[in-house]
Amino acid sequence: MNELGKVWQLIVPFGDYKMTFNLDAILMTWIVIAILLLFGFLAARKQKLMPGPIQILGELIVSQIYQLTEDALDKKTAPKYAPLICALFMFLVCCNWIGMFPHMHEPTKDLNTPLSLGLLGFVIAHYSGIRAKGIKAYLMEYCEPIFFMAPLNIIGELAKVVSISFRLFGNIMGGSIIILVVSYLTFSVLLPPFLNAFFVIFIGAIQAFVFTMLTLVYISVQVK
Amino acid sequence: MGLDIQTWVNVAAYIGGGIAMGFGAVGAAIGEGYTAAQASSAISRNGNAAGDVIKSMLVGQAIAESASIFALVVAMILLFTNFPATTPVMIPAVFGAGLSMGIGAIGAGIGAGFPAGSACIGMVRQPAVSNKLTTNMLIGSAVCQTPSIFALVVSFILLFTDFSARPISPTWAAVLGAGFASGLSAIGSGIGGGIVAKQSCDGIARQPAATTTITNIMLLGQAITQTPAILGLLVSFILIFKSYAASSALAPAMALLASGLCIGFGAIGPGIGEGVASSGGVAWVARNEKHTGEIVRLMLVGMAVAESTAIYSLVIALVLVFVV
Repeated sequence: MNELGKVWQLIVPFGDYKMTFNLDAILMTWIVIAILLLFGFLAARKQKLMPGPIQILGELIVSQIYQLTEDALDKKTAPKYAPLICALFMFLVCCNWIGMFPHMHEPTKDLNTPLSLGLLGFVIAHYSGIRAKGIKAYLMEYCEPIFFMAPLNIIGELAKVVSISFRLFGNIMGGSIIILVVSYLTFSVLLPPFLNAFFVIFIGAIQAFVFTMLTLVYISVQVK
Repeated sequence: MGLDIQTWVNVAAYIGGGIAMGFGAVGAAIGEGYTAAQASSAISRNGNAAGDVIKSMLVGQAIAESASIFALVVAMILLFTNFPATTPVMIPAVFGAGLSMGIGAIGAGIGAGFPAGSACIGMVRQPAVSNKLTTNMLIGSAVCQTPSIFALVVSFILLFTDFSARPISPTWAAVLGAGFASGLSAIGSGIGGGIVAKQSCDGIARQPAATTTITNIMLLGQAITQTPAILGLLVSFILIFKSYAASSALAPAMALLASGLCIGFGAIGPGIGEGVASSGGVAWVARNEKHTGEIVRLMLVGMAVAESTAIYSLVIALVLVFVV
């Protein structure tokens, strides 16, 4: 149980500062990216009218998420954001499911990954809000209901980034801690497969979906 | 009888273990009782569906119990692990770990009972959609557990962080405050998430054609309902990992403890309130799917307003940590 909370870090001195790289998270993210690229290549390589199994899976994911995006936004703006939402969902699902395999760690277990994805969604949502409404209407929204509520509205917006990223991080981290501790207490007999099925596959997929949905909703609130 | 640090750490671990399991048993039992009551009512309406109802009741109760099982795991660890007494800070840390998990399991236990009961009722109303109802109930109850998982994360961090390099005086209050923050703030969000999931099971039984929409909105509502618990988690992380200057004065230490209490109590109400707001959204989308867009937008605005009190608590908690 000693590996609990241990992080492999590479610390590079950079002038007066120290740059810290979390090697586990970086390596695992690269593996996830490689898996996704391979999946995309296999799904789109030989497109046929009678699709093969991988093409069907790809089409299923893409069409479902395009539909979801269309429901939240509208027909005109949806194609612009759907690729982002689709990529986000597939990346997160892969990240969360990779912990199923021995010696693999979820990149989302490291707060840096969810936080950067949350910031990405935040910046995109607000940028598209400014593009859609104009800077004046965008700024006026912070002054609702009265102008002196502006600081609290700004904190509320920042709290969204915190909540979206900590939600993913807390769930994945909690799941992996429970699996580790219960496996240790029961000497890895009987229970770990069920725990993996629940916390990694089920909760992992749900939390990936929740993260994606929230990013989509934050964008749609800003755009409309 | 020598009362050295090791003795006190053991004392705190035993008390913490007792609190973890004692409080941890409260919520799940209430939730499971509610489920069983609804299942009885369901069977009395349509005895032919008894098999399905009992199966769904048992599955729902098993999920509602998971918060309690987390508490059991933490209590076992507190009782059977020998914690190194390198610093007196370990005393409040192991106590805070038990407190966080014990109180944190209350809300999720109560909350996860609601969707299970409502799924049992829905099953006799619309026997044809029992599969969809069971899936929705499973998703809803599983997402309800999130606040208790946050409490679990904090209690493990408290147990296995090395505090020996930290100054004793403000740190003891910080770790205790972290336990209160994550534990108390999980109550409201757990119950609130359960209310949302309950209405979504009702809604699917009322309008099975809208299942996908209802499940999506339920997930959205539950996710936002968890925000107060996440703010509590944030404050406990800040309290645990911030480095403090050593000082023997009592006031700064108490400010840290108060910061944990502030966000903890402040998050209870918003959690429940946001759950109620979003349950309204889910329920009325089931009645009128055509106006989903308008209802969801109103729901989001209402939840944001209900959340503002949690944000006031967050502001005060951060002021207590960084300014006072």
